Amino acid sequence: MFKRMEGFSENDIDKIHNAVMEVLRDIGVAFHEPEALEIFKNHGFKVEGRTVYFSENQVMKALDTVPSEYTIFARNPENDVKVGGDNFALLPGWGAPFIIDNDGEQRNAVMEDYENFCKLVHTSKYLDMNGFLMVMPSDINPQESHLDMILANILLTDKAFMGSPQDRSKAVDSLEMVSILWGGKDKILNKPVLPSKVNPVSPLIYSEEMVGTLIEYATLGQPLEFPDLILSGTTAPITLAGTATVMMAEDLAGVVLAQLINPGTPCVIGGNTCATDMRTGGMALGGPEAIKIIHIIAQMGRFYGVPTKSGGSLTDAFFPDMQAGVESALSMFTSIAAGSHFMNQSCGILAGFNAMSFEKFLLDEEICGMVRKIVTPVEVTEESIGMDQIKRAGIGGAYITFPETFKKCRTELFMPEHATRGSYETWAVQGKKKVHTKAHESLIKRLDTYKKPDIDPSIEKELREFVAQRRAAISK
Amino acid sequence: MEDHTQITETLIQGDDEKLIILVQEALDSGANPGKLLNHVLIPAMDVIGERMESGEMFIPEVLMGARAMGLAVEMLKPLLGDGESSSAGKVIIGTVKGDLHDIGKNLVSMMMESAGFEVTDLGVDIAPENFIAAIKDQNATIVALSALLTTTMPMMKATVEAICESGLREQVKIIVGGAPVNQSFADEIGADGYAADAGSASKLAKSYLN
Repeated sequence: MFKRMEGFSENDIDKIHNAVMEVLRDIGVAFHEPEALEIFKNHGFKVEGRTVYFSENQVMKALDTVPSEYTIFARNPENDVKVGGDNFALLPGWGAPFIIDNDGEQRNAVMEDYENFCKLVHTSKYLDMNGFLMVMPSDINPQESHLDMILANILLTDKAFMGSPQDRSKAVDSLEMVSILWGGKDKILNKPVLPSKVNPVSPLIYSEEMVGTLIEYATLGQPLEFPDLILSGTTAPITLAGTATVMMAEDLAGVVLAQLINPGTPCVIGGNTCATDMRTGGMALGGPEAIKIIHIIAQMGRFYGVPTKSGGSLTDAFFPDMQAGVESALSMFTSIAAGSHFMNQSCGILAGFNAMSFEKFLLDEEICGMVRKIVTPVEVTEESIGMDQIKRAGIGGAYITFPETFKKCRTELFMPEHATRGSYETWAVQGKKKVHTKAHESLIKRLDTYKKPDIDPSIEKELREFVAQRRAAISK
Repeated sequence: MEDHTQITETLIQGDDEKLIILVQEALDSGANPGKLLNHVLIPAMDVIGERMESGEMFIPEVLMGARAMGLAVEMLKPLLGDGESSSAGKVIIGTVKGDLHDIGKNLVSMMMESAGFEVTDLGVDIAPENFIAAIKDQNATIVALSALLTTTMPMMKATVEAICESGLREQVKIIVGGAPVNQSFADEIGADGYAADAGSASKLAKSYLN
């Protein structure tokens, strides 16, 4: 394998592993939730105050029970998603409070935006499943909006989706709702249907909310994703080796807890770690360090036998312009090429996670399509070599007139929906449209032609009743 | 007139075998060959042209349609009455001297044929005198010059000048194309028109018929 992009040699990986073990053994990781501390104590871990210390044996034993591949089930079985090994999943953006519109104006996101993103996910050729919290709806009480978002996830698309990690009670609500969808909690026990994120607070802390979330999902064997977001030079050493060490220590600590609670719970490690922008103290999500660490994450994941998450279409830009395109494409391509398995943020995210753009969503989809095409293995058969065509064309012949070309002209090659090709004149005559304008036009068409997938009306009714009842209880 | 929707659809699908059968069936049941050509097949090719322009149809699909059209025209030609023509006009096409590139030129040639033109493709590296000889020989009304290299663009100008000097300029419309060429270059060298791609080249040629 060509190794120019790989961050670490085998020897380097051993050194990082030893450093990770030293951090877990000597510094430990804080868990701000007494129940987690009890679990660790009961399994013989050294616990002082809120800090848990891990021996290498304890860590490696826990890693033994992490599945290297698993399936996330969707309510439409055609949309089941395989994660791990050669399989990867692409999911939409996550966590944006704002929408940046086609004129570059920023506004608060609302529930209608969330629903529209669900519709785009449902009709996406390139996204494998839905996420959660694509935008934070400002028009709904934040203590209740998880209910609306999960309901939208269930009703507006029949793809798989993620649950709320916001705190323990929202995790419980999410799990209750998928239990209704699948016909009871026993139906989802150890059957992956609702992955959730669990974010460490770097360096080396798990908050009460996150640990509560982890406990709820792990108890039912639902997949946990540890999307670490370290800023090199702020929450870890400024060097990539030091950053990787802190990141792996945090991630593995969470994985260990999940395995103690319910051995075999699927886990995904990695994150969207990047450099600190030293001029502002903010993130440098689209910088080369963020790209380089994607390979490092994938390498460490393979070393530990745990599927990884990283990248997506990440950018610091505030508009789907060239900066956004370059940063997103580098990040998306690298994530998939490096061998990562679970990519949130694959479509729509702008402004270092602060905003979603509908136009960028469609343009990112196109990048996802291109990258999928790039990594698809090339078929080499007698037919695909086409010796009879080569002989027929001889020297100077035109393959474009061949029936073989005609037959495959729609299926063999990637056809972009928004990228401009052809002649300057045609482009000029058609109004010199830039790519975001084209995306805006097809967005309108796409939302207009969306059709809601069918669902058993009794399930929908029960879900709506649950939401109403929980909303009443929360607003009391 | 009978319903020939199936012929139209078959031509658009580029299914030459089926098209020949359908055209024969239409003739057997008494359809007028001239009307079949002018009111069914050529309008179907126009649809193909429009769909190519809008991006709905891809080049290989257009070419398959053109091939099917060519076969149907061959069938109808001997049956056409006096004064009825299967040809929209005669075109001479070639890549100018010094330039060996022909992919674009070949596409233009195929597209024009599919639009009903009788095209004489001289090939690549064609000297001005050869264009002139062909215009005389074929009694052509359109000359299409192609160049891919900036270094051979001056040869387009030389070819246009040679056609002027030969006294044939009034007889022909000269159109130019190729990656480095644009409308202002066409204007500068005294060509009649410029087309950016194969589809618009055949559309441009058709516009000269009216």
